[in-house]
Amino acid sequence: MTDTAPRRRLSLGLRRRILLIFTVGSMMLSVFLAVTTYGLTQTNVLEGRDRTSVDTAFRNAQVVQSSLRGNPPNINDALDALAGFGVQRPLIFFRGEWWGGTGRFQSDALPSELVERVVDDQVPARMIIDVAGDANIAVGWPIPGVGAYFEFFGLDEIEDTLSSVRLSLVLAGIATTGLGVVLGVFAARRAVRPVGAAAQAAKSFAAGRLDTRLAPTDDPDLSLLARSFNDMAAALQQRVERDARFASDVSHELRSPLMTLSASVEVMDARRDEMPERAQAALDLLKSDVQRFSGLVEDLLEISRFDAGAVRLHLEELVAAEFVRQAVAVSSLPATPVTVAPEAEEAIIRGDRRRLARAIANLIDNARVHGGGEPEVSIEVVADDDEPAAIHIAVDDHGPGVPPEERDLVFERFARGGGAGRRSSSEGAGLGLALVDEHVRMHGGRVWVTDRPDGEPGARFVIRLPIAEELA
Amino acid sequence: MGTRILAVEDDERIRAAVKLALEDEGWTVSEAGSGEAAIEQFQRSAPDVVLIDIMLPGIDGFELCRTLRRTSDVPIVMVTARNDTHDIVAGLEAGADDYLTKPFAPKELSARIRALLRRIRPLSTSHARLVFGDLELVPEEGKVLRDGQEVHLTKTEFRLLCELAENPGKVFSRESLLDKVWGYDYFGDGRLVDVHIRRLRTKVEHDPANPRHVVTVRGLGYRLQA
Repeated sequence: MTDTAPRRRLSLGLRRRILLIFTVGSMMLSVFLAVTTYGLTQTNVLEGRDRTSVDTAFRNAQVVQSSLRGNPPNINDALDALAGFGVQRPLIFFRGEWWGGTGRFQSDALPSELVERVVDDQVPARMIIDVAGDANIAVGWPIPGVGAYFEFFGLDEIEDTLSSVRLSLVLAGIATTGLGVVLGVFAARRAVRPVGAAAQAAKSFAAGRLDTRLAPTDDPDLSLLARSFNDMAAALQQRVERDARFASDVSHELRSPLMTLSASVEVMDARRDEMPERAQAALDLLKSDVQRFSGLVEDLLEISRFDAGAVRLHLEELVAAEFVRQAVAVSSLPATPVTVAPEAEEAIIRGDRRRLARAIANLIDNARVHGGGEPEVSIEVVADDDEPAAIHIAVDDHGPGVPPEERDLVFERFARGGGAGRRSSSEGAGLGLALVDEHVRMHGGRVWVTDRPDGEPGARFVIRLPIAEELA
Repeated sequence: MGTRILAVEDDERIRAAVKLALEDEGWTVSEAGSGEAAIEQFQRSAPDVVLIDIMLPGIDGFELCRTLRRTSDVPIVMVTARNDTHDIVAGLEAGADDYLTKPFAPKELSARIRALLRRIRPLSTSHARLVFGDLELVPEEGKVLRDGQEVHLTKTEFRLLCELAENPGKVFSRESLLDKVWGYDYFGDGRLVDVHIRRLRTKVEHDPANPRHVVTVRGLGYRLQA
C-alpha cells in the first residue's frame, strides 16, 4: 500500500524533481524573507514616524504655549510662529475655540476620545486616524491653562516608502526565485550528467564496444557509480572475451588435425582410381565432410571474431556489378548467371571485398544446398524517396522457399527451421547465413529473405547495401 | 631431382601428410621439426623453397624467417594457424614471400610455390638496363644498383620492381600486382603487396618514409618513377 506512492513520485524524473525542489524552495525562501523584511520595516518606519511626530508636536506645543504667554494672548502670534517653523497641519484649542485648521484637517476630523483625553484629562495622546481616506497620526499635547495643541502628521510618505519597499521585495523575490530555477536547472543537469554518461557508456557497451569505461571522478558519490559500472564492464568484457577466445582457440586447435586430414585426403584422392568402389565411396564421403568441417571451423572462427568485436573492415570502393560477378565466379557455383540492371552497372559501393564476397558465396552455397541448386543472381538499384539509394543483390533459388514465420530465424546461428524440406540436407545447418547477416550489417546494409518475385516456388535472398558517392 | 622444398613444421602428423601430398605434386620434400633443425638443414641442402609454420618451439617462425633472410633470397611461404592481420603482416615483414592459413589444400600450396618460382618474364622493353635517377635495374642479371652499389633484393621483391619498371609512371593497382607477381585472382590479399612495397622501399629508397621512386597513388595503387 505504501510502496506505490514513492514509485509514483519517482515517475516525475530526477531532473524535474530537483528543479521542482529548487523552484519551490527558492520561492518559499523569498516569500518568507520578503514578509519578514516588510514586517520589520513597517514596524520600524511607523515607530520612527510615531516618535518624531510626538516629538515635533511637543516642540510645536511649546512654541504655541510661549506665544500665548503674551498679555493678552494673541492666537495669531502663535499661528504665525508655527507658520514660521513650517508646521503644516496645526490645530489649536484655545479658550473653547478651534484655531488654525487647514483644509480637511479640522477639529471634526479628530476623534472625540482623543480630544477628551487631551483637553479634558490634560494628558498627551496620539492616534492613527483616517482623514478623508488618508492615514494620519494625530498628536495632542495639552497646554496647561490655555487649551491644547493638536497636530496631524500624514502617513502618506511612509506609505510611499513602504510601497517602494514592497515593490523592491517583490522584485527581489521574483529574482531570487528565478535564480533558484536557474540553479535548479544547473543542479539538475549536473546531477543527471553522470547518469547520462553512465547510460551512454552502457549503450556503447551493449553495442559491442566492450572497452567502454566511465571516467574516474573525485566525487565520492559518483565514483561509487563509476567504479561499480567499470567493475561490471570489466567482468563482462572478460567473460565475453573468454567466450570468444574459447571459440577462437577451439577453432585454432581444430585446424592442425584438419590440416593433416585434408592433406591425407588429397593424397588418397590422387589414387582414387586404384581403389575398390566401396573405398571410393567412403573416400568421397570423407573428402566432402573434411571440406564441410573446414568450412565450419572457418565460420566458427569468423563469428567468434564478430563476437569479440575484433572485425575490422578493409573498406575500398568497388564497382558493384563487377565485384558481384567476380564473387560469383569464385563461389561454389561459378556458372551462376548474374543479371545486372542497366542503371546498376556503374554503381559504386564501399566495402570489404573479401567479406562481401564471402557473404555472396554463402548465399550461393545456401541456394545450392537448400534451394535446389541453379540459383540466379540479379543486381538492381533501388532509390526510395525516404532512403538513400541502395543496391539490391538478390539470389533466387528453386527450393521450397522459406515460410514467413521462419524468415528471421534462418539468419540465426545453427538455425534449423522445420520448413518443408528446406533443412532436409545434412549439410549447411550452420553459420553461413548468420555470417551473411553479420557481414552485411557491418557494411551498413541488411539482408532478408522473401518469395521469388516471379511467383515460381523458391526463395529470394536480398542483400541491400548503400551506394557510395560516385567516384570523382 | 625436382624442386626441393624444406617443410618446417613441429607437428609430426601434419609434416608427414603434407610431405606425402607435396610429393604427389612432384616436389622433393625434406623436413625439419624445429627452427634449429631447419637452419642446419638449410645450410646443408640449400632448398629451392622453404615452408615455415609460424608456431614453432624454440626459434619461432618469424625468427627463423629473419635468420634465413640474412643470407638467402630463397622464396619462403609462411603457414599460420591464425588469419590475424598481425601474424600475417609480421610474417611478411620478417621476409616471407607469401602465406597460407591452415588448413590449406596442398594443391593450393603447390600453386603458390609455382607462382613464386615462375621465371621472371623477359621485359617487353629491349633495354638491358633501366635507369631511374639513382636507381639502376639490370633484369638480365637480376641486379639492382643504387648509386652504383648493388642492392640485394629477394626474388619476389625483384619481380615486383620489374613489374613496376615495365611501365614506368603507370599506376599499378594492388590487384594487378597480386595477379602478376603472386598469381592471385581478384580476391588476393592486398597486404602482400603493401608489405612487399614497404620492404622494397627500405632497400631502394634513400628515405623510405618519403619514397621518390616507388610512389603510392592514393586509392589506386603504386607506380615507379625516376
